[in-house]
Amino acid sequence: MNRTGWTLIGLVTLALAIALPFMVMPFYVRVGQLILLSSALALSWTLLGGFAGYWSFGHSAFIGLGAFAGGLFETGVLPGTGLWGFAAAILVGAGLSAAAASAVAWPILRLRGIYFAVAMLGVSQVLAELNNNIDAFKGSMGLVLPRLSAFGLRPEAFFYDILLLATVTVFLIALWVKTSRLGHGLLAMREDEDTARMLGVPTERYKVAMFVLSAALTGALGVIYAHSLGYITTSSVYRTDFSLNMIVYNLLGGIGTIAGPFIGSAVMVVLTQVFLGRLLNIHMFVTGALLVLLVLAAPRGLPGLFRRR
Amino acid sequence: MLAIQTIADGLVLGGLYALSAVGFSLIFGVMGVVNLSHGAIVMIGAYLTWFLWHAGGVDPLLAIPLVMAVLFAAGYAAQRGLIQLAVERSSLLASMLLTFGMALMIRNTLVLVFSPDLRSITPAYAAHPLILGAVVLDPLRVAALAASLVLLGLLAFVLQKTRTGRTIRATAQQELAARLCGVNARHVYGLTFGVAAAFAGASGAILGIVLPFSPPDESLWTLNAFVVVTLGGIGSPSGALLGGLLLGLISTGTSQVIGPSFPNAMMFLILVLMLLLRPSGLLGNAFAGSR
Amino acid sequence: MRMSRRSLVTMAGGTILAAPALRRAAAQAKTITFGGSVPLSGGAAETGLNVNNGYATAVKFINETFGGVEVAGAKYRLELKLFDDASDPSRAVTLIQRQLDEGVDFFLGSFGSPIVLPTAAITERAEKPMVQAGGGSDQIFTQGFKYVFGFFPRATRQFISTADFMHSLKPALSNYSLIFTNDAFSKTAAQGVINSMKEQGIPLLESYTFPETITDASSVLASIRAKTPDALVCMTHDQDNLLLAKQMIATGTNVNYLFQGLGPQLGSFRETLGAKANGIFFQTYWDERAPLQDKFFGTPARFAAYYKANYTRPIAYHVSAGAACIVTYIEAMQKAGSLDPVKVRDALAGIDISTQYSRIKFTEQGDGDPVIMGPWIGQVVKGQAEVVAPAAAKTAEYTYPTPAWDKRV
Repeated sequence: MNRTGWTLIGLVTLALAIALPFMVMPFYVRVGQLILLSSALALSWTLLGGFAGYWSFGHSAFIGLGAFAGGLFETGVLPGTGLWGFAAAILVGAGLSAAAASAVAWPILRLRGIYFAVAMLGVSQVLAELNNNIDAFKGSMGLVLPRLSAFGLRPEAFFYDILLLATVTVFLIALWVKTSRLGHGLLAMREDEDTARMLGVPTERYKVAMFVLSAALTGALGVIYAHSLGYITTSSVYRTDFSLNMIVYNLLGGIGTIAGPFIGSAVMVVLTQVFLGRLLNIHMFVTGALLVLLVLAAPRGLPGLFRRR
Repeated sequence: MLAIQTIADGLVLGGLYALSAVGFSLIFGVMGVVNLSHGAIVMIGAYLTWFLWHAGGVDPLLAIPLVMAVLFAAGYAAQRGLIQLAVERSSLLASMLLTFGMALMIRNTLVLVFSPDLRSITPAYAAHPLILGAVVLDPLRVAALAASLVLLGLLAFVLQKTRTGRTIRATAQQELAARLCGVNARHVYGLTFGVAAAFAGASGAILGIVLPFSPPDESLWTLNAFVVVTLGGIGSPSGALLGGLLLGLISTGTSQVIGPSFPNAMMFLILVLMLLLRPSGLLGNAFAGSR
Repeated sequence: MRMSRRSLVTMAGGTILAAPALRRAAAQAKTITFGGSVPLSGGAAETGLNVNNGYATAVKFINETFGGVEVAGAKYRLELKLFDDASDPSRAVTLIQRQLDEGVDFFLGSFGSPIVLPTAAITERAEKPMVQAGGGSDQIFTQGFKYVFGFFPRATRQFISTADFMHSLKPALSNYSLIFTNDAFSKTAAQGVINSMKEQGIPLLESYTFPETITDASSVLASIRAKTPDALVCMTHDQDNLLLAKQMIATGTNVNYLFQGLGPQLGSFRETLGAKANGIFFQTYWDERAPLQDKFFGTPARFAAYYKANYTRPIAYHVSAGAACIVTYIEAMQKAGSLDPVKVRDALAGIDISTQYSRIKFTEQGDGDPVIMGPWIGQVVKGQAEVVAPAAAKTAEYTYPTPAWDKRV
């Protein structure tokens, strides 16, 4: 299919997405929220993971950092400023995540493969523990965030729209990265970093750039997620299952692609919220079984199943 | 005096940590698989032992061989039936996700079978404090330290002195060469996982005597194993011991010096620093490149 | 091989997608549906299961014994529609929205502020009442919610009766040390301890903070052995309290008065410690021997008997509280003479009834009245969880100072 075809499909999907809150019940709007949030997070993750080949198992570190940094700033410095405070919080959250990423980027990106994955897991755990045990961060007592809305929208529709905006932004950024020279360099790096370096790809700069970009976007999304809940504690945002979900959605949808995160999160969110939502006490088992099935039966993700021969 | 007490407590706690990492290190060192269901297997060991003790009055230490046998069989089957397939079809990183899925399934099953209530195994020969001079020690934890030394020694013996152990090590170092020598690599990996699961189960049995447990603890023990193995070195039982003892000392030291709410934060900080400075750990043999 | 794998996945996917179409909504006469979530997986699952069983017991009993309830002249059967929130706030808010969409009017709450606050905000906006037998930290009741009711007094007020009791002890307590974990409930409860003990004039010697899950308390216990406080108050959750108790026993760390907020009420806790559990003080909100009356169950003893006939899981006060949530709702509906959520809410705000759990009365912010719904003092005596104060509710005499660990047989 050619470029025009894809653009057309994209625009139609976007139109449908915008119209969604007016067409379905609030529950499905919330499901939509979750799909958008998960897709955007998975896409942000894959900038570093799928594109560059550095699988971080601790990206929830940035969700948490962003959420608390933004939230603390908003409630401490700019209370009562409504949407302006929210916007400021997003900037602060993204900024602090980017700064944190820059600080650790050089040493941590020297690690490869599983070592990098575990190191990021460690980083997210350290941050989570510090957040929970240092009173100033309000991680254990929790942070109450202001209730937001605009244009008379119901809260779930409002956050849906914000997340839609955010997801489209992340999508465009990812698209730009992929089709640019940077993106080709990353692809080379993913396949064989040392050879790429030898051939003149500035791997160090590219890695760090992706790491920081990925962190910033994740941090921003963390702020939005936190506001959609209205009250957060350490355990609502620094969640290992978020870190793992980002990877699972990519695996399911096809790692290294831009459509992958969307496919993966749509399938998993619908499965776990809409269908497994009714199961009282075995949903964890079923989720685990699905993961096992996924890895065994669809190692290249769902698209891989249909693309074979 | 407080310093000596802290050190003693740290060593004794370290015994527990070392115990919990037994098996995890082996799987990672030999197969390169990060087994995220490690903690869940430890919990199975704890629950099995509890069940035998509670329903049958079987002394927990006597139940260990049975628990180990059961878990060996289950581990072998899991490796050959599931994990091997994942590694061959997908990637090592994806096999990590498969083990995570297994962990979720095991955890939910444990909740359904045993209920989420906390359990603890209290054998008859329990607790009079062990007093050595000015230092007071928990006898159960000292026993756990001794048990971890025994188990790790046993594992080291198996790996170094027995034929199976040598085969495992050979396959870990150079799979192709080992196969050329007639080794059935898949069988060896199955054995490795089985042995690792057996030891994890044994450590679960002992942990079950020392600490109250419930299904959500499985993620805690997996994380602990991570840190211990990263500190002490991958693939090496003595590394697990060293890593565990170090971790215990760091834990009690931090608690005393910085505050009781910070040992976990320090533990993960050390994990990250260790990975940055010396990824193969203090005593490890990194079978695959880290850089 | 590849074909069959692909078709297997497709078949599995198809079945899952088709499943809802195959489910049929059972045709009901008139029913009152209670929605909400309970944590059935994750750290709070133990209490979650108890509360869930409490809800289920009440619904089953009322449907079986009375065929339902009568409100404003019409008869209704009761129905429970709960989901497992897995202690995951995003799951909880999404699924509770579904229940609102499906027309559920009355909600039972989960617990833990991370779940209750976000979900309560949603039900509050929809103007549907939520009654919950858990989640006592102050923030829940200081948000200005009008539709949220809790069975326990807010955490900072939960220690009032115990502090009063401790003050009355002879020989008088000279000081106390405090242990708590870093989570919203324990921290606010600990603040309550500090406030109440200050009012009673018992000085705080030292306060120790733990992370959410404790694996080792040896350094804290070493400090306690060195500083010898008269009393030790532990505001942590059951697993942590059991660990603390075990380590205290194993290291011979003794105090004259040991209080553990959650734990000794559970049979499994006492069974693990055996005779060593005797003497530990705790708080309890209910005992099956209490002299209370309930419109549906009669006495707590009858409630306990019915529960035990239907469940093998040992009874705990959360079971009773859960059942009382349902009873309170029914009484409010009958008092309002309507099933309109706003009218029921108003009836709940002003309610003052007797149930097998306790007399029920809420403060203006919606939490339990601290005196009427506050806890009793309990102590483990001969392996049983007994109530030792106040005199009107007591089932055994208390022992103080408590003997050293190695003297307990």
